[in-house]
Amino acid sequence: MAVSSSNPGFFAAIETSIADTELRRKLANASGHHLESAASTRAEFPRYDEEREAARSLKTAAIGRLDELLIELRTRLEGNGCHVFFADDAAAARRYIVDLARVRKLKRAVKGKSMTTEEIELNPALEKAGVEVVETDLGEYIVQLRHEPPSHILTPAIHLSKEDVGQLFHDRFGTAYTNEPERLTAVARDNLRAAFLSADLGITGVNFAIAETGTLVLVENEGNGRFSSTLPDTLVAVMGIEKVIARLSDLSHFLEVLARAGTGQKITTYTNFITRPRSHDELDGPREIHVVILDNGRSRILADPVLREALNCLRCGACLNVCPVYRSIGGHAYGYPYQGPIGSIISPALFGKAAGHLPFASTLCGACREICPVKIDIPKLLLHLRWKENQNNLQWPRGAAKARRGAARFGRMANHPRTIRALSRIAVLIMRPFAHEGYVKWMPGPFRNWTLTRDFPVPKAPLKHRSADQPQSN
Amino acid sequence: MGAFVRILASVKTALEMRTLVNSEPQVEASVAAPTLIEPSAAQIQVPIARVTHRAELLSSFARELEAIGGVFAGSVSPGELPTRSVAIADQLGALIIAVGEGVTHDLLPIANLLEQHHRDLILFGAAGDDEARRAALARIARADLGIVEAHCAIAASGTVAVVASPARPNALTLMPPAVLVIVPADRIFPDLASAIEQLGPDLIAGRRTVFITGPSRTADIEKRIVIGVHGPRNLHVLALWPTDV
Repeated sequence: MAVSSSNPGFFAAIETSIADTELRRKLANASGHHLESAASTRAEFPRYDEEREAARSLKTAAIGRLDELLIELRTRLEGNGCHVFFADDAAAARRYIVDLARVRKLKRAVKGKSMTTEEIELNPALEKAGVEVVETDLGEYIVQLRHEPPSHILTPAIHLSKEDVGQLFHDRFGTAYTNEPERLTAVARDNLRAAFLSADLGITGVNFAIAETGTLVLVENEGNGRFSSTLPDTLVAVMGIEKVIARLSDLSHFLEVLARAGTGQKITTYTNFITRPRSHDELDGPREIHVVILDNGRSRILADPVLREALNCLRCGACLNVCPVYRSIGGHAYGYPYQGPIGSIISPALFGKAAGHLPFASTLCGACREICPVKIDIPKLLLHLRWKENQNNLQWPRGAAKARRGAARFGRMANHPRTIRALSRIAVLIMRPFAHEGYVKWMPGPFRNWTLTRDFPVPKAPLKHRSADQPQSN
Repeated sequence: MGAFVRILASVKTALEMRTLVNSEPQVEASVAAPTLIEPSAAQIQVPIARVTHRAELLSSFARELEAIGGVFAGSVSPGELPTRSVAIADQLGALIIAVGEGVTHDLLPIANLLEQHHRDLILFGAAGDDEARRAALARIARADLGIVEAHCAIAASGTVAVVASPARPNALTLMPPAVLVIVPADRIFPDLASAIEQLGPDLIAGRRTVFITGPSRTADIEKRIVIGVHGPRNLHVLALWPTDV
């Protein structure tokens, strides 16, 4: 951990998560066969790689002319009768939505699943203003009842077992205890249907905003986004500036890869196209649509030519599912609403220095890059951020200078075969007496540090001699 | 608006940073320029595919629909549509049934036959005042079955595309526990791209549009798939095979 900015809280959270074997069992349980079935959905689609390439280049092109597209989007949205509010940061977005609720005297909000509203911490602000907020995505509803943040951008309650949910519903609603997902879902359906019918404010995220037509596209499986954007009279849709795409005809390329990467479906159950408030002759749909377009650090990501690629992210969640770090520590340990590999890239830009340690929480194994539907080179970006963090926050650990000098000295020695051979013989002689059951677990004095974090196998012969026995491979 | 100008300025400044890197390939040039679909009033008129091709698309659609938990209820001629619809309503035990207006076919014969079978019918006329509107929504909320015609369908994924209208509200395919969607067989397109192209920006952005792929579902509890969360748990699709081919 040598050069990461110190973050004792993060390490404590990791320790706690790793010690929680139950959590690891749940994470493994949730991702095991699911990953395989998702992989086979992709394998059965011969055009998958072509579509990924198309999605990647379309998104890169859109980000490359984000300024023009934002102007076009705003013009279209307003032309369609939507209100558009640009927010520099989370506070501005919150203020706008809270003020709107106050002015319109809105009291009951239903929310579709939206990570951007998690990012701006909208719920506490609305609740403080006297608005009751109900999360209606099943996973979000569960974590809201537990007063917890979501632990996965796609499956927020992935850290909970069906027994946990059963106990929660039993405690909260007094319904008979059950651990059957079907019956638990039915309980939630009834509760949330009542909430939908009485809500006066709907809040959703946005997956894609089409500049050409001013259409908001919202994808989902349950119907929570559909209900939230259909029944309440006022709709607030919150999106980051990077969600804009140029044309309607670009959309299919994104939809062909989004669900295949995230959940292993060909396409999600519902793809909602929301363009305008309901007209006088329509029965449903919001009477008023407010689109909140959020910067909140995204233009900072854009300003870094290497990091810019991170704005291509579709929030499919696939990189979390395959990440060995995420699968060991779960989402909560990251401490931010965007977890896993992509979260470690965008959180430092969105939430500032306090998240600067996150890029170090990766093994750089590359599974995220392989699975990413828009081929974001996540390991490259993580390395870039590590480098930046070290530039900005250069705190070499104690002894680093000594270590560097030592390495230089070793380099010089290694150029002299006779010296290195002699020294390795000496090293073996020194280590042997401390060997126990095949390993050197502890050595005294100046060698103590070497054995603090790992056990050395007992050396059989000096390295040089052993390598001579190996078949030559080049 | 201050923030709009500020954000645009920072986006512009940020974009200028691209000149600093040479390693980053200029992707814009390599993107095949997406062609703008010329919207025309006759969007709904589509070239009729060859019949054999149409049969292939229909069978692919049916297979995909069933794979994701929908029910393919077969293909019928317009004349058979009312009786088949009533049979499906019976099978579902639906007593209160909401029927949306048709797109290329009149669905009133279905409504009439349902009425003869003493079903409680919900039909939609012009929306009245706010109270009438709320009352109509409350009635849909109590319906056992919603019946609509889709604008088109997608063979590769078993998807139906439903465009709302005053007499075909969005809630009709959302609130009832069961939905029967009628799809003309000549409006089943191979994939998402062709369906979006055929619908075109005028239709999709004209009224509320939804692509529906199977029944409402979730996997939020231990990734176990559960059908019927907020939306319908039963999705039946009837293909309408015109008699003239």
